[in-house]
Amino acid sequence: MNLLEIDRISKAYKKGKSPANIDISFSIREGEIIGLLGPNGAGKSTLVKQIVGLLAPSSGEIRYRGVNVLKQQRRVSTEISYYAQEPHALGALTAGEALLYTGILRGMPRREAELQTRELLERFNMGDLINRRIKKMSGGQRRMIGMGTTLIGNAPVLVFDEPTNELDPLNRKLVWDLIVEHNRRGATIVLVTHNVLEAERVVDRVAFINHGRLLEIDSVAQLKQRVDGRLKLDLTAAYGEVERLIGRLEGWGDIQRTGEHRVRVYVSKERAGRLLDWMIHDESLPIDEYAVYPPSLEDVYVYIDERKAGIAHA
Amino acid sequence: MHSAVNIGRIGSKAWTELSILFRIQFALVRDQWVIVLLMATVFPLSTLLSMKFMFGATTHQIMVNLIVGNIVFAVIMMGFNALGQEISWQKHQGYFTYYASLPILKINFVMTQMLRGMMTTLPSVVIMAAAGQYLFDVRLHYEWGLIPVFLLAVLSMVGIGAGIGFWSPNHQATSNLVQGLMMFIGFLSPVMMEREQLPLILQWIGYLFPTTYAASALREMLTAGWTKEVSVNALVMLLFVIASYWFIFKIIRWRAAE
Repeated sequence: MNLLEIDRISKAYKKGKSPANIDISFSIREGEIIGLLGPNGAGKSTLVKQIVGLLAPSSGEIRYRGVNVLKQQRRVSTEISYYAQEPHALGALTAGEALLYTGILRGMPRREAELQTRELLERFNMGDLINRRIKKMSGGQRRMIGMGTTLIGNAPVLVFDEPTNELDPLNRKLVWDLIVEHNRRGATIVLVTHNVLEAERVVDRVAFINHGRLLEIDSVAQLKQRVDGRLKLDLTAAYGEVERLIGRLEGWGDIQRTGEHRVRVYVSKERAGRLLDWMIHDESLPIDEYAVYPPSLEDVYVYIDERKAGIAHA
Repeated sequence: MHSAVNIGRIGSKAWTELSILFRIQFALVRDQWVIVLLMATVFPLSTLLSMKFMFGATTHQIMVNLIVGNIVFAVIMMGFNALGQEISWQKHQGYFTYYASLPILKINFVMTQMLRGMMTTLPSVVIMAAAGQYLFDVRLHYEWGLIPVFLLAVLSMVGIGAGIGFWSPNHQATSNLVQGLMMFIGFLSPVMMEREQLPLILQWIGYLFPTTYAASALREMLTAGWTKEVSVNALVMLLFVIASYWFIFKIIRWRAAE
């Protein structure tokens, strides 16, 4: 069942400026984890702010359970919990107060909110910081409190905007684990991120957004099939030889320069064997190292973005 | 019976919401209590001492007018200056994203901002009245009616304060606007002086602002007690309060839908 329907949404902040969202349509199903992926400035955050009713679209409509979100603001703000990154508004509160008060404002009975506050802080390994003022915490700790204010109250829909930004690896893993856990208990998750590699582990479907447009939406498996048959080769050229290497690789596949001495080649599986054989045996090729990978979601994103850009330029 | 239960439930929810939002605002005061205490003490004392130096040999009535004017000015400033600046600051700091995404009423948010303003302004009003009495032997008239008049005076200006804050394009612009309003209210409206002392055009402009009625009512209450003039001013302030509530509910937006 479709929980949210995004119907031909366009959003322009000011007349004459390029719009942040252009004619975006898709649905979000109940119980799924959907990732909105794209580079910074792609229009993802603008879209989720419209989904939670903080921004009104310039045209189009977003429906939650069949009704325009703008016509049921109270229900939307009760049932959709939005992760607004750092809890700036709560800086003067202690960690315990921030979670407890947010829980009560979300409609939880006080006792239940107190219990969940303690559980969440323990889960974040921040149980001993319950009485610490948020503004005296590190950036990562503040973001975890922000995460807590989103999770408290167990809303049926959770919307996260870049939930793992500025977090250390352990907390990043914890955040992904929490997202999956809440999804298993029945929550629908909308996830905005540009961290494609991490999102790949948890999302059911992906919507690629760039330049304000929806490029593609599908399951991770289906999207990967689009580039199935291609392999990714990451090569490190000998010092000062990267241009010559690129010249010699021309014609083998899609070539990208990924660093001062690094080159990436997307090559079809049929040709990959011959390319590798040539690379190994031709000693005149200026290659120091190479590695071969199956396509990741990031590769799918790059592939789709390039194809769409190619179509747009054509 | 059902509707009574529903009203009770809504009332209880609104009270919970209000008290939690107030605690969040109180935490901000708790965090800056030294500055708050300093401002609340220094401003009235420096005002009174400078008045003593400047108007040392003046008449008792002028001193009454100046002290009452300063009390009224502080209350009025809290009503829209502090409220407007505070809401604007919170808006541009990104606080609205947190509040507006919660299932809370905007009016409760505004009311808690006002309560916070009262917490920081009331001490200076009390100090002004007490020190005025000690330094100039000015006897002010205190009675229970002062409480509703004081509340009406503040609440009648909430609409202006909320409008300044919510519509602020940036905090600098808000700051400039309230500075200008302070100049206007301080010198060109009947706050620090009697209405009749102003040019006719300013008297007429003054009728459009709640500050005029708040100043008249508070001045009358503090000097003579509850008179017919206070009743009339209180009634006009009540109309401004109703207009403010309507304005905040219907016109001001912090979510896209409102």
